Amino acid sequence: MRGSHHVVVQNRRVRFEFSVRRNVTIVRGDSATGKTTLMSLIEAYDRLGDASGVEVVCDRRCVAINNANWEAVLASASSCIVFLDEDVSAAKTPEFARRVRESDNYYVVITREDLPNLPYSVDEIYGIHTSGKYADLRRTYNSFYRIYEPDEPREMGPVETVITEDSNSGHQFVKAVRC
Amino acid sequence: MLSIVFGDVENAVYHPPTYFDNTYLDEWITDPRTREMVRDVDKSEVVSARAIDSPFLGSISVRELSGGVKTLILMLFDDSGRIFNASSCGDNCAKWICRIAREKDLTINLHHVMDFSSCDGFEAYMINTGRTVKSFEEYLDEALSIEER
Repeated sequence: MRGSHHVVVQNRRVRFEFSVRRNVTIVRGDSATGKTTLMSLIEAYDRLGDASGVEVVCDRRCVAINNANWEAVLASASSCIVFLDEDVSAAKTPEFARRVRESDNYYVVITREDLPNLPYSVDEIYGIHTSGKYADLRRTYNSFYRIYEPDEPREMGPVETVITEDSNSGHQFVKAVRC
Repeated sequence: MLSIVFGDVENAVYHPPTYFDNTYLDEWITDPRTREMVRDVDKSEVVSARAIDSPFLGSISVRELSGGVKTLILMLFDDSGRIFNASSCGDNCAKWICRIAREKDLTINLHHVMDFSSCDGFEAYMINTGRTVKSFEEYLDEALSIEER
């Protein structure tokens, strides 16, 4: 799977609209911004389709995984956008990372933890913000914002050395440093 | 006093919101401290022990509170001796963790470096290293040196 995929997930109360651009997207941020609500909408639609009352608009199938079913779902999912909430502890494991690397799915991972086994871009770490009421004023409109904006000057103390790794290198440098 | 342990530890609850859903008591919800946390973090009002008024979702059940608030409520009331994963809490919960730790000895588990910069007079015992840090800056230095995180 390549390129950017636009996703709209909504019911009568809330609407989430965002794009996923790389194979791993991280969502984190303050409590009560709607992360778990987004997950529950995806999960309900994945389970019941239109009968859930949830509307998902995307050119790819959106699926939710949990601790119990992630292996089975990933074994059959192809060209999907896979969503997982912070309770999926498997996300930290090398086995999960291997399955991610070997699949052609995109992954949206809700977590505040570092995932050292997964290569993801700092540009693809997002929070969710509510940008007001949508359309009929009964629905809240939520979108993703980039947590680390490269153009914004950041307050930080004196820095002696900045070490970076090319986005295509796949952790080679970090592995070498760790050794 | 706040104690912090990073990484996987015995007796820790990795996903406190699920534990909360299955163990909470009605009286926890109507406690004034819970009402205040729900108002601050979730921007919602506790109507009764079984109903919350959310400006985003309408009338919701206690189970639909945010994972952060559920974890804070457990830290405040649960007496099982379990340690709760504060990585279920956003940084907007940090001041509440510090406030609870002023009322009682509180041990939390972390899997990321939480931002406690909003907490005045921050102080914590770092279980992994056995050191007490007396400022957010000291905490940062100590936390970043801990491999288990």
